[in-house]
Amino acid sequence: MGLKDKYAIVGVGYTPQGKVPARTTLSFHLEACANAIADAGLKPHDVDGLIVYRHFPGPTGERDLTPYLLAQHLGIAPTYAYQDAN
Amino acid sequence: MSALESGLCRYVLLTYAHSGDSLRRVLDEISGDEAPFGLFGAAGGYALAARRAMHEFHTGPDTWKHIAVGQRQWARLNPRAILRDRPLTLEDYEAAPFLVEPFRLPDNCLVNDGGRACILTSLERARDLKQPPVTIMGLGQHNPSADLYQPGHLTGPTGAQAAFRQALGMAGITRSDIDACQIYDCFTYTVEITLQDYGFFEPGQGAQWFAGGTIEPGGAMPVNTSGGQLAEAYHMGLTPLTEAVMQLMGRCGARQLGPETATKKPEIILCSDNGGVLQTHACCILRRWTP
Amino acid sequence: MTVPGKPSPRLDADAAPFWEACRSHRLQVQRCTACGQVRWPPAFLCPRCHGRDADWVTCSGKGRVYSFVVYHKAFHPAFEGDVPYVVAIVALDEGPCLVSNIVGCDPSRVHCEMPVQVTWEDRPNRITVPLFRPIDG
Repeated sequence: MGLKDKYAIVGVGYTPQGKVPARTTLSFHLEACANAIADAGLKPHDVDGLIVYRHFPGPTGERDLTPYLLAQHLGIAPTYAYQDAN
Repeated sequence: MSALESGLCRYVLLTYAHSGDSLRRVLDEISGDEAPFGLFGAAGGYALAARRAMHEFHTGPDTWKHIAVGQRQWARLNPRAILRDRPLTLEDYEAAPFLVEPFRLPDNCLVNDGGRACILTSLERARDLKQPPVTIMGLGQHNPSADLYQPGHLTGPTGAQAAFRQALGMAGITRSDIDACQIYDCFTYTVEITLQDYGFFEPGQGAQWFAGGTIEPGGAMPVNTSGGQLAEAYHMGLTPLTEAVMQLMGRCGARQLGPETATKKPEIILCSDNGGVLQTHACCILRRWTP
Repeated sequence: MTVPGKPSPRLDADAAPFWEACRSHRLQVQRCTACGQVRWPPAFLCPRCHGRDADWVTCSGKGRVYSFVVYHKAFHPAFEGDVPYVVAIVALDEGPCLVSNIVGCDPSRVHCEMPVQVTWEDRPNRITVPLFRPIDG
């Protein structure tokens, strides 16, 4: 079938994890994304698609973390942006 | 994938993050129409599924303890794992307190701060990049979508069965070609029902299948080799997916599948993700690309 | 210290008739006028035939425990006095399943397929909730 071996995963981004005080969810997104871009040997402007895993509804007191907000902070303007749930 | 396939983009970034404090609050308070009855948190829904499974095919703590202990063995080899320094024995499991019975504390995933991301691109582009490409051989999704009120799928088949069939078909392989699994493990029972629906064992045969270290270092079918969400960290579907990628790239250090852990060096790894209370299911078969 | 009350049900336009009937201790579910399917939760469309009209039928209040869990920890302060308490999926004799509590019974006695009968609990703010207790014998 069509998609077999056409696409690849080429970089992974980690962050500190566990109890990490004084950090926002947004900051973890940005750190993970920047690390994944570097891990793949890419530059931020290479990234033109952004899929943000759904956050649980209403993380109390935090900003609504849309793909557009993340893109702004990553300094990119994706042609495709999506928030996925699963 | 469709964004890449359609030519809309070249490099897609996939990201998940959460600050644990807010995650815990939200998980505890997830409370739709069941809140007046004190059904809070994901644990309640999955524990209802697990209890019915105990009734239907006689699973239970004797199966789940092997999952909790096996994944904790992997966590001991992973410097990133949150429970790296907290070994767990079968006896520790049996002595652990109930939270939402039948689940004991070690049946529940972690609630943590942190984030995880990965990047997808075409194989053509991947060949020129820094890391060895890990290709997507097959994908499948199936979503029973029924609420707790119409509970037919809670004890299987969940969406896992049909999703796996699709993914195998796309990949053109059989189950016996799979070298290791990274299974979404919000609770131990989730691992059991997913592998059961994938056909690794018959309903109710999980206790025998898991016993004796099948999924542990040195085992015949390694599962959740980072420690998983039970012992490494919870990043939704990205905990299993990124671990599969790192294993296939050969970048896992002390927990690397292969001679380091007395396991087979993996060519093909199966990953899963599910949502709701087993209402949605996605699976993905990855392989180490060799031209 | 004031303990907050238990969470209230969502009284939206779909569910309001159900909760209204609960106030007079009647357990009502929707039945599709076109195909006769009895359904829960209440909604605009019949999932089986996409019929749009439904009437409300009163259930016997009898059913069986499809599954159950025991909360040993209160995730909400209003339930602290209740632990350990039982949350169950109750399969009504009429077909649909409800999430509710099993009361009037030690949690260790509850089992799957246990026959149960509705019992009503009146709460503040004119809310009445259907709970279930074992049918003796």
